[in-house]
Amino acid sequence: MEKLLHVEDLNIEFHDHLIPETVVYDFDLDMEPGEIVGLVGESGSGKSMSALAIAGLLSRHDMKKRGTITFNGRDILNCPRNQLRDLQGDEICIIFQEPLTSLDPVKKIGWQVEEALRIHTKLTPAERKAKALKALEDVELNDVERVYDSYPHELSGGMRQRVMIAAATIGNPMLLIADEPTTALDVTVQGQIVKLLKKINKEKNTAILFISHDLSLVSRLCDRVMVMKSGYVVESGSIKDIFENPKEEYTKKLIASIPSYDPEAGKEAEDDVILDVKDVCVSFDKKINGKNTNVKVLKNVSLKINKGEVIGLVGESGCGKSTLAKAIVGLQPIDSGSIEQHEKYPQMVFQDPYGSLNPSKKIGFILEEPLKNLTDVTEEERHKKAKEMICLVGLSEEYLERYPAELSGGQRQRVCIAQALMLGPKLLIADEPVSALDVTIQAEVLKLMQKLHEELGLSILFISHDLRVVGKMCDRVLVMKDGVIVEQGIKSDIYDDPKHEYTVSLLESAGLLKKN
Amino acid sequence: MNRKKRSFNFILGTVLLALTLIPALIGLVWTPYDPESMDVANKLAHVSIRHIYGCDNFGRDVFSRIMSGSGITLLIAIGTVACGSIIGTIIGAFTGYFGGMVDTAIMRINDVALAFPSILLALVIISLMGSGKYQVMFALGIAFIPSYARIVRGEYKRIKNLDYVKSAKLAGAGDLRIMFVHILPNTKAVLLSSVMIGFNNAILAEAGLSFLGIGVQPPDASLGRMLSEAQAYLFTNPGYAMFPGITIVMIILGFSLLSKEIG
Repeated sequence: MEKLLHVEDLNIEFHDHLIPETVVYDFDLDMEPGEIVGLVGESGSGKSMSALAIAGLLSRHDMKKRGTITFNGRDILNCPRNQLRDLQGDEICIIFQEPLTSLDPVKKIGWQVEEALRIHTKLTPAERKAKALKALEDVELNDVERVYDSYPHELSGGMRQRVMIAAATIGNPMLLIADEPTTALDVTVQGQIVKLLKKINKEKNTAILFISHDLSLVSRLCDRVMVMKSGYVVESGSIKDIFENPKEEYTKKLIASIPSYDPEAGKEAEDDVILDVKDVCVSFDKKINGKNTNVKVLKNVSLKINKGEVIGLVGESGCGKSTLAKAIVGLQPIDSGSIEQHEKYPQMVFQDPYGSLNPSKKIGFILEEPLKNLTDVTEEERHKKAKEMICLVGLSEEYLERYPAELSGGQRQRVCIAQALMLGPKLLIADEPVSALDVTIQAEVLKLMQKLHEELGLSILFISHDLRVVGKMCDRVLVMKDGVIVEQGIKSDIYDDPKHEYTVSLLESAGLLKKN
Repeated sequence: MNRKKRSFNFILGTVLLALTLIPALIGLVWTPYDPESMDVANKLAHVSIRHIYGCDNFGRDVFSRIMSGSGITLLIAIGTVACGSIIGTIIGAFTGYFGGMVDTAIMRINDVALAFPSILLALVIISLMGSGKYQVMFALGIAFIPSYARIVRGEYKRIKNLDYVKSAKLAGAGDLRIMFVHILPNTKAVLLSSVMIGFNNAILAEAGLSFLGIGVQPPDASLGRMLSEAQAYLFTNPGYAMFPGITIVMIILGFSLLSKEIG
C-alpha cells in the first residue's frame, strides 16, 4: 500500500540561544492510511515538536529543521506557505491538549466547526451547516442544534474536546494528529474520547498520530507505539512487542512506572481513629446566569481515618474532593458538621508543585517556616530538623540553600512533602500530589510516600482522580461524586466488586473493570 | 538576536545614567564654580573652555548649576518615589490581601485620586503648603500613591490565592507575616519596574512644577527651574536652555532603558 506519511532523519534545532539546541534527533516515522500510531514520552522529550513539524506548523524563524517529511507525495518541509494551507485543515488536522484555550472564545461553535469547510470547499452555508451538525452528531454530542449556537464557555471541557474533534474531522482528513487530547480531561471523559477516536478511525479510515505521556492509554488505542526520550526515538514497535518484550532500559522503566492495582495491600487497620469527619457540609455563593446561587459542594460527608492507614479519595474534578481536603486542614470554613483530629496543625501537600513553593524563598526557609511560627525550638534545632527532613525525602543538604526555580517538579514535590512533615504529624493530606508529574517521577514520589508511610507509621489521605495510583497506594478507597461519598470500603472490594454505577464507570474508563 | 538587543539597551542606559548621575554625585561635594556666585562680566557667556556649558543671565556657570541642580532634581525624584511607593505598597497590600468593604471603599477613593492628573493634585497640595523642594517632594509623593496602590493591590489579589500562600497559612504564618514576608518579595518584578517608571515621571513632574515657578525656589538650582529661567534667553544664549534639557532627556532615557531591562 502507498505510504501516507514518510518522515526521515528529522532534526529540529532552536537557535534562540548562543549554542543551538537540538530538540529532536533523527526522527523516522512511516504511517499507512488508517493506522493509529502512539508517540509516548515525558514532557520535553520532543514529541509535540515532531508532531507540529509534520503538520507544517513549525515555522519560527529561530528554528532549523533538517530531514524530509513527505505526506501523501508532498514535501512538507519545503512546501511554500500557501500550498501548506491547502493541506492543513483538509488533509492534516490537529487536536490540541487544552480544550479550554484551543477554541476561539468569541466565535460560536458552529462557525468554528465549519471553518475548514469554508476554506477548503465551495459548499453553500446551508450545506455547511448540515455537515457541521452531522459532524457534531458523529462525536456523540447531544442537542447539536443548541451546541451549534453556543459559545465555547457554555460547554464543559469534555464537550469542547469533542467539538475540537468534530472540527478536525469534518473535512475527512487523512491524518489526524492528537496532541495529548485527553490529558486535561477527567478519567471518565478520557475513556469516552479514546473510544470516539477509535470509532472515527474505523468509520472514516483516518490515520491517527496519538501523542501522550500515558502509556496505558496508548496501549488501549494504538497499533504501534514509538517511545521518545530527550529528542531521540529510543524504541518503536507494535504495542504487544513493546509491552511484552521491551528492549531499552527507558521503555522498561516507563512500563514499570505505570501504577498498577495491587490487590494484596488492602487491609483493615487497627481501630485507632486519628481523623473523624462527621456530616460536613460546605457551600459557596456562586453567580449563575447573573443570579447569586448557593452551590452545595459537600453534602453530609463523613469519613474516618485510622492510625497507619492510607485512604484513597477518588472522583472527578469539581466533585468536592479538594474542598474536603481544605476543610480538614482548616483552609475552608464548614457550614455544619464536625471535624475532629489529633493534629493541632494539620498539613497538606498541594497538587501543583510549581505553585506551592514560594519562588522568592530558599528551600531551607520554606522548611523551617512551620517550626518558626508554631513552636519555640531554637534556630539551631530548626536547621537540624530541616537537614534531617530534606535527607528523609531523598534530597541532599545542599538543596536547603537553593531556590524553588532550581528544582525539578519531582524535587519540588519532595520539598512539599518534607515541609508537611516538619512538625512530625501522624496524618498527611495529599491533594493530587502526583498528577502534575511525569510517569517516571510519579512512580518515584509514590515510592517515597509509601516509604514514609511504612517508616513513620504515617496515615495518608490520598486524593486523586487516577484509580491506578490509588489502587497501588491505598488500603481503603472512598469514591466521591457531586459532593457525596457514593461508595467506600476495602480496596479489593471496591475494585473487584463495585456496587455503585459511578464506581463501575470510573473503573471502566481506567481499564480496570473486571469482566465477569 | 533578542539577547544582543537587550544588552545594547542595558549598555546605552548605563552610559547615559553614568554621564548624568556621576556629575550630580560629584556636585554634592564639589563644583567647578560656586553655582550661586554671580559674575556680571560673564553674563550669558557662550560655551568656552572656562565655562564649558556657558553662563546664565547672572553670569553663573551653567555646568556647575546643572551638577547641583540634577542633584536636587534626583533627590526630589527619590523622595517622591519612596513616599509614593512605600505608602502605596502598604495601602495596596492591605486592600488586596483582605479585600471586602474596606478594599472597595479605599479603591473608589483611589479611583477619584487617579482621575486627577497627578501634576494638578500636586499643584493643589503645594498651593496649600507653599513651595520649596521638600514641599514638592511631599506633594508629588502623595500624588503618586494611587497608582502604586493599584498595582500592588492587583499583585496581592493574584498571589494571595496561590498555593504557597495557603501553605504558609498552614505553616502558621500570621496575616502580617504572609503579607510582608511571603507575598511582598514576589511583587518585586512589577514593583521594581513601576518604581523605575515612577522615577521618570517624578523627574518630569518636578521639572514641570519648577518650570511653572512653584517648585524649587531660587537661589536653589533644579533642572526645571533652569529651563524656565532660560526661556527668556533662548535666542541670546541657546546653550543655557539646551544643556539642562539634554540632561533631563538623558536621565529619563537612561532609566527607561534600564527599567526595560529589569522589567
